[in-house]
Amino acid sequence: MIIAEQKPLDEIKSMIADYQKVLILGCGTCVTICFAGGEKEVGILASALRMATRLDGQDKEFIEATVQRQCEYEFNEEVADLVKEADVVLSLACGIGVQTMNEQFPEKLTLPGLNTKFLGQPTEQGVWDERCLACGDCVLYKTGGICPIARCSKSLLNGPCGGSQNGKCEINPEVDCAWQLIYDRLKALGKLDLMMEVKSPKDWSASHAGGPGKIVREDLRL
Amino acid sequence: MNRDENTPGISPMEEMSPPCQVACPLHTDVRGYVAAIARGDFEAAYAIAREPNPLIYVCSHVCAHPCEEECRRGQVDEPVAIAALKRFAAERHDLSLGHGPPKPNVEPKEQKVAIIGAGPAGLTAAYDLARMGYPVTVFEALPEPGGMLRVGLPKYRLPREIIDVDIKGILEADVEIKTNVCIGRDMTLSDLKEQGYEAIFIAIGAQQSRALRIEGMDLDGVLLGVDFLRDVNQGRAVKLGRRVLVIGGGNVAVDVARSAVRQGRPGSEKEVHMICLESREEMPAHEWEIIEAQREGIILHPSLGPKRILGRDGKVVGLETIVCSSVFDSEGRFNPTFVPDSESVIEGDTIILAIGQASDLSFLRPEDGIELTRRRTIKVDPQTLATTAPGIFAGGEVTTGPGSVVGSMALGRRAAISIDTYLRGEDLTGLQFGEWRELDDLPPKTVERIKPLAREPMPMLPLEERAFNYEEVELGYTLAMAMRAAHRCLTCGGGAYVDTGKCAACLTCVRVCPYDVPIIKEGAAFIDPTECQACGVCASECPAKAITMKLYSEDQLYQEIDALFADAPAENPEPLIVGFCCLYCAYAADEWAESVRAQLPPNVRTLDVVCTSRIDIQHLLRAFELGADGVFVAGCVGDECRHTEKAANRIQGKVQFVKEVLDQVGIGSERLSLYDIPSAEWGTVPRIAQEMTERIRALGPNPL
Ligand SMILES: Cc1cc2nc3c(=O)[nH]c(=O)nc-3n(C[C@H](O)[C@H](O)[C@H](O)COP(=O)(O)OP(=O)(O)OC[C@H]3O[C@@H](n4cnc5c(N)ncnc54)[C@H](O)[C@@H]3O)c2cc1C
Ligand code: SF4
Ligand code: SF4
Ligand code: SF4
Repeated sequence: MIIAEQKPLDEIKSMIADYQKVLILGCGTCVTICFAGGEKEVGILASALRMATRLDGQDKEFIEATVQRQCEYEFNEEVADLVKEADVVLSLACGIGVQTMNEQFPEKLTLPGLNTKFLGQPTEQGVWDERCLACGDCVLYKTGGICPIARCSKSLLNGPCGGSQNGKCEINPEVDCAWQLIYDRLKALGKLDLMMEVKSPKDWSASHAGGPGKIVREDLRL
Repeated sequence: MNRDENTPGISPMEEMSPPCQVACPLHTDVRGYVAAIARGDFEAAYAIAREPNPLIYVCSHVCAHPCEEECRRGQVDEPVAIAALKRFAAERHDLSLGHGPPKPNVEPKEQKVAIIGAGPAGLTAAYDLARMGYPVTVFEALPEPGGMLRVGLPKYRLPREIIDVDIKGILEADVEIKTNVCIGRDMTLSDLKEQGYEAIFIAIGAQQSRALRIEGMDLDGVLLGVDFLRDVNQGRAVKLGRRVLVIGGGNVAVDVARSAVRQGRPGSEKEVHMICLESREEMPAHEWEIIEAQREGIILHPSLGPKRILGRDGKVVGLETIVCSSVFDSEGRFNPTFVPDSESVIEGDTIILAIGQASDLSFLRPEDGIELTRRRTIKVDPQTLATTAPGIFAGGEVTTGPGSVVGSMALGRRAAISIDTYLRGEDLTGLQFGEWRELDDLPPKTVERIKPLAREPMPMLPLEERAFNYEEVELGYTLAMAMRAAHRCLTCGGGAYVDTGKCAACLTCVRVCPYDVPIIKEGAAFIDPTECQACGVCASECPAKAITMKLYSEDQLYQEIDALFADAPAENPEPLIVGFCCLYCAYAADEWAESVRAQLPPNVRTLDVVCTSRIDIQHLLRAFELGADGVFVAGCVGDECRHTEKAANRIQGKVQFVKEVLDQVGIGSERLSLYDIPSAEWGTVPRIAQEMTERIRALGPNPL
């Protein structure tokens, strides 16, 4: 799922400086699960902003709402009236939700309250780890199910590099070396021969390098 | 037709109800009043307990409390002391606020209703009908209302002032009671009809002792239990010998025996024996009553049948008994079998029979058209309590045989609803009383996780102070005892409910619950009310705000926070400190409720929360938003939590998070403090509050 975190309060404050009535709009899906933009987070941010802006001598009004999935018009339609009423929308959805809102309500600006960070896994309560880079050409079948693109700091296809020390990455001793993990897994699977296979350079055009991604399923279109 | 909203206690509920409430014939919201006591809100507790019960003071002393038998706490250790807690709430209630809720604003009705018998059944029906607007008259044969309460129950269990308090409440509801009017002797049923009573409720109870058909019944010294109690209760002289033999093993027999012990004056000590068919284990009297009887010196002779009363010169000299090997046959019917040639004699000069009561139905005439059952009770439709005569209803012990106060009251209530239906000209056959759905037993995995907490014993009058008087034996709980007793309630079914439409299936609740209750089922969290212990951890952490606590919801906490500020002076010389105090640990130290809280200076305002795990981030922020200069959370040290350490520790992360927000906002994290206070050290709270006040004074007011 998409993992995001809230922007620093100061940055949010300066974004909304020119507006009086702010609709804080949460999203009930990924960002709820990663405690960044669900109904609870909307309430907390509203409370923090009410206090912070009052301290700055501003008299702002905050409206709180949360839709089920902000990347869909149908769900956002439910808050159309609130959007109309507000001077600006502060979205606590991922970047996709923010853009959907801007597209759907072109007369109203929707601002991002979150930084969308990565595609990741909630590995334990309160911890999220990056797992996928959406490269468009999955290699997990060659790497024991561990992604070297997302989890190797250098996205090496033929690792590890010389910076791998005691299973950790040279960029940070807290970060596992993805290639150590791959090696260990392949060894456990009895497939170490896959390590010997030299992977040819990746065709990055399948990912963002090839321009904005788009998928069309003609069979599904109405 | 369904009478849900307006009829307390009769409403069927869609959700599953706690077994205490289902077991109570009046369906008292036990969980609700016990929780209110646990929160320290005693008037709220009284109001909840009073709602279905116009005889609340009486019940709070002598209710047979079937609720406790079903209480799920009993699966862990012992049931919650529900009855004792009701008594505590009643004793705390300020009667100048009224006995019950004010009379509803209803259209006065024309049709007059007559009620025969001012016992629990008759009084309840009268009260309910009067509140519906009917002119109600109760006809009572005895000089005072109350029925068996007045003339049966011994005063050492039910002081008479207690009855008077409830009777006064009933009279205030515009019920007319005519005493010294015996239907059959002074008036007939037809007289009542002629006088314009359009409906009649017969609630004459079972006021006669059953006799035995054995030799010697006519001897001098043979007394009937109910007559004996009536004489004692009405202050008439009762002649007892030195060896009193009480025949019977039920509650009435125990009351007779314990009353016999009390009769006379110092120097007239006597031996009191109880003889019953049942074995000691099978004795129908409540165990605690039997134990008290034994402590008062009563000698039990179980498994013995009375064969014949022995006499000399027309006076009782003893009882010949025979060993009873079983009381009931294989089909559970009363059918005692005796061991041949096992006769023996117990010497005694007085014999009191307490083997059951029956109704005196001699006032009924054939032309009344009222049929009886084979058990010599009045035959009624079990749903509507209609007798075979139109417009005449009957209920209470006259239809059930010997029962309980609360059981008779429930039938009085039912009769009132039926009579109202009848008088409105509606079809009685359509009258439906909803079924209650009951929560299942606690599953074993939950039982294992619930911390045992000893039941608070009832303080009792010392044995030596009971001789030759009728002083009440049970003395009632002190505040600290009541608090501890109330905190044992598991708040069955009052816990977490999920709005599946909002749930994001994030698994937070699944992971944080100290009792492992939530699961994800069909794409959303499912919290089985059978298992939930209402700690509130999940609700305070759900990122989708999909969980609500049924009892003491998050919103209620917001309201309480708001209320703290309602009267805060605008110009405050002292910093305003708000303390969120965990109730479980706070009251584990008795002083909190009784004295510590009172020592807090006026600038410190505290909120009692049921477990710190209930507090969520927004609650803390709210206090600052409303202008608190400082906020503290005081909770127990991990393993003292009524739930688990896992629950107790959840507050730490929340406080840390709020501190970060306060720094970002510019209010400053040092205005929020978390104190772990062992229950034994709750006396230090005023000092902590003082320290905090000084610290915050130095910081200056909340910049907001
Ligand atoms: C010794 C004893 C101890 C008990 N202890 C408890 C206890 O601890 N807890 C508990 O829950 N229950 C207890 N009970 C049971 C309880 O008292 C009864 O279940 C309850 O009182 C029955 O209520 P009722 O309204 O049906 O009848 P009653 O209380 O018997 O009231 C009937 C009333 O009708 C009046 N009456 C009868 N005939 C006529 C007539 N012809 N005209 C006018 N009035 C008439 C009677 O005088 C009486 O006042 C005890 C009973 C006894 C005998
Ligand atoms: S634990 Fe409380 S709610 Fe549950 S049955 Fe007992 S008294 Fe009722
Ligand atoms: S914590 Fe809330 S959103 Fe998450 S699974 Fe439980 S109910 Fe659903
Ligand atoms: S966390 Fe507490 S309130 Fe929530 S389901 Fe578990 S026991 Fe019930």
